[in-house]
Amino acid sequence: MFKRSWLSIKRKLGRTIILTLIFFMMANLVLAAITIKTAVAAQMDYAKSTLGGTVAIQADMAAIRESQKTEIENGGNRKEMFKEMMRPAVNVETANEIAAYSEYVKDYSYEISSSANAGDLETVETKGFGGGNMPSMPGSSRRDSTSSSESSSTLDADITISGINAYAYLSGVQSESMEIKDGTYFDEDTNDQAMVSYEFAELNELSVGDTFTIKNIYTEASITLTIIGIYDSSEFNANANTIYMNTETAAKFLSEDDYNDGNYEVSNVKYYMITSENAEEFVEKIKSDFPDLAEDNLTIAVDTSEYDSMANSIESVGSFATTILIIVIVAAIIIVTLIVTINVKDRRYEMGVLLSLGANKTNIIGQIATELLVIGTFGFVLASISGSFLASKIGTSIVESQVASSAQQSERNFGRPGAQIGGSSTSSMPDMPDAPDSSDSSESNSDSKSSSKSKSMKESIMSRSQQSNIDLDINATPTDFLLLFVTGYLVIILALILPSINVLRYQPKTILAGKE
Amino acid sequence: MNTLKVEHVSYSYKNAAGEQEVLKDINAEFKAGKMYAIVGESGSGKTTFLSLLSALDKLQDGDIYYNSKSLRKIGGSEFRLKYVNIVFQSYNLIKYMTARENVQIAIDFDNRKVNPNTYLKQVGISEEEGGRLIGKLSGGQQQRVAIARAIASNSPIIVADEPTGNLDEETEEKIIDLFKNLAHEQKKIVIIVTHSKQVANHADKVLHLRHGKLS
Repeated sequence: MFKRSWLSIKRKLGRTIILTLIFFMMANLVLAAITIKTAVAAQMDYAKSTLGGTVAIQADMAAIRESQKTEIENGGNRKEMFKEMMRPAVNVETANEIAAYSEYVKDYSYEISSSANAGDLETVETKGFGGGNMPSMPGSSRRDSTSSSESSSTLDADITISGINAYAYLSGVQSESMEIKDGTYFDEDTNDQAMVSYEFAELNELSVGDTFTIKNIYTEASITLTIIGIYDSSEFNANANTIYMNTETAAKFLSEDDYNDGNYEVSNVKYYMITSENAEEFVEKIKSDFPDLAEDNLTIAVDTSEYDSMANSIESVGSFATTILIIVIVAAIIIVTLIVTINVKDRRYEMGVLLSLGANKTNIIGQIATELLVIGTFGFVLASISGSFLASKIGTSIVESQVASSAQQSERNFGRPGAQIGGSSTSSMPDMPDAPDSSDSSESNSDSKSSSKSKSMKESIMSRSQQSNIDLDINATPTDFLLLFVTGYLVIILALILPSINVLRYQPKTILAGKE
Repeated sequence: MNTLKVEHVSYSYKNAAGEQEVLKDINAEFKAGKMYAIVGESGSGKTTFLSLLSALDKLQDGDIYYNSKSLRKIGGSEFRLKYVNIVFQSYNLIKYMTARENVQIAIDFDNRKVNPNTYLKQVGISEEEGGRLIGKLSGGQQQRVAIARAIASNSPIIVADEPTGNLDEETEEKIIDLFKNLAHEQKKIVIIVTHSKQVANHADKVLHLRHGKLS
């Protein structure tokens, strides 16, 4: 049987070539579809690792309202209660302890805000704007909701102090309404350095590297800051008198009570997960390790919406690949069935001779199956060579779109893996801030540190993007090849059913009498 | 002695005109070592009789026995594989194979390891001719290859349908000698359906098929 099959393959070259080509084309498409599915699975993993979800610690408003309601029912003063209402906040030490869970947390962000007195500096007048400052209003502290003390100030609060652990997490940066005009960004390491608005810098003739002194409105202490960067904001109600800095620097502008020996309260606490898969587990861990948070009317909530929206789009590509796979397999079964049926009819005489010599019908079906399996193997092997390249190209093009958008994201997130800037992946990338001159950086130790960080920023971002590509294995894997062969052989077996029924109906006498 | 016995075999075809009985209660006995010729007019049922003897067609009535073993019990495919081999007028060789490969098929079916050239040599086909594709051989050579295949199958019965019908006189003579040799030397049962007087003259026994009856 095997000898006959081999002879038939060898001697009927035309048929062998046509069938090989059909199997080759089918296998290429099947492999491409399988590889797309693999790429989709890889991309899902990639999305899980890059879009890791966010865990936020927020005020439990429902619990607060409930406690207010109870207090009112117990005869509490309604007006006073709402007047003195303070949203609960997290202490920075607790926030830092949670951030230290490195197996879960990729990055974090939290904020504090306060006010300062401009001293000898001039402030920008922003009349009529909701967010504008109100110069010369004694004691008008612009404390945030985390502030709980009754401290009073004697100096005018004409400067807004906004502290956040990293520039990338500023809401203006996230919404792309804010950009660095000169200098670079700040982070946890850039103590006593700040970013001022373009208007504020121009008004006071300040530039990157210059120092300036403003006052704590509560302690009247003079605090000297170095300008690390100058920002420009396109926000409608932007306050040009807002100075941005890291939380440790901003804490210097709190009252003594609020400073609380360095354990000040922070708001808008967010933890960016390494992977969204274990966000829930992280929440449970925080709840169990920090039970006081719940007692303080704070909730810990998971936000995986970004991953979910990405997963939906990837899954649609996956189902597209499944549709292609089904169409190709069905088409291949039909085509191969037709070809084999025609081929079996053409070979009726040969089969009649074999039957007359005593061959049984299963032996003849076995011969046809062997021929097809051998020719199919040729086609599949050829497709494995070409298809691995072709499938990789197709898979790459699909995944590339996402990698490109993630790489763009990476370049725009100012070195913060958790920062998701803007809502659109196709939005234009803002100009990269240049590193400050070495002469500027020599002005202070921290500035020098910042400078070296800035210099390596582009490289580190590039390396992060490249790392993303390396992590994504979108080439056909050995499992893909195995699946290709299994699918191919299944197609052959299914395509053999109809021609085999024909063979079972053959009678040698009828065939040979017809011949004679 | 090996014997092929035909008992009460009848056969009829159904057509538009109704049922037409071609063979009527045939009884015959064929013995090893003898060459039989079955002659008769066209349409007398020779080919039908041969188809039944070689198990190419199913028996309707009666039975055929080889050494008392019933064809019905053995089964057509098994009977063709082990007991009978057929030589056709049009040779029925597989075209994309060489002469040697055609003979090899019969050897493979018998699960033996024999050089097909041994059989080709017996019928006068050289090794060089044996390596040619069937289409590159003359009619006489093709018929000899068909006979070599029949010998190679090692079946005790050889049935031939007009084996010399397409051959010239000289080749016909050689083919007849081959069949005689198969019967007399190799002790096979050789049954030839023929129109040829020459073949009939060389047969050990001539049977006439007339109006469905063998005499």
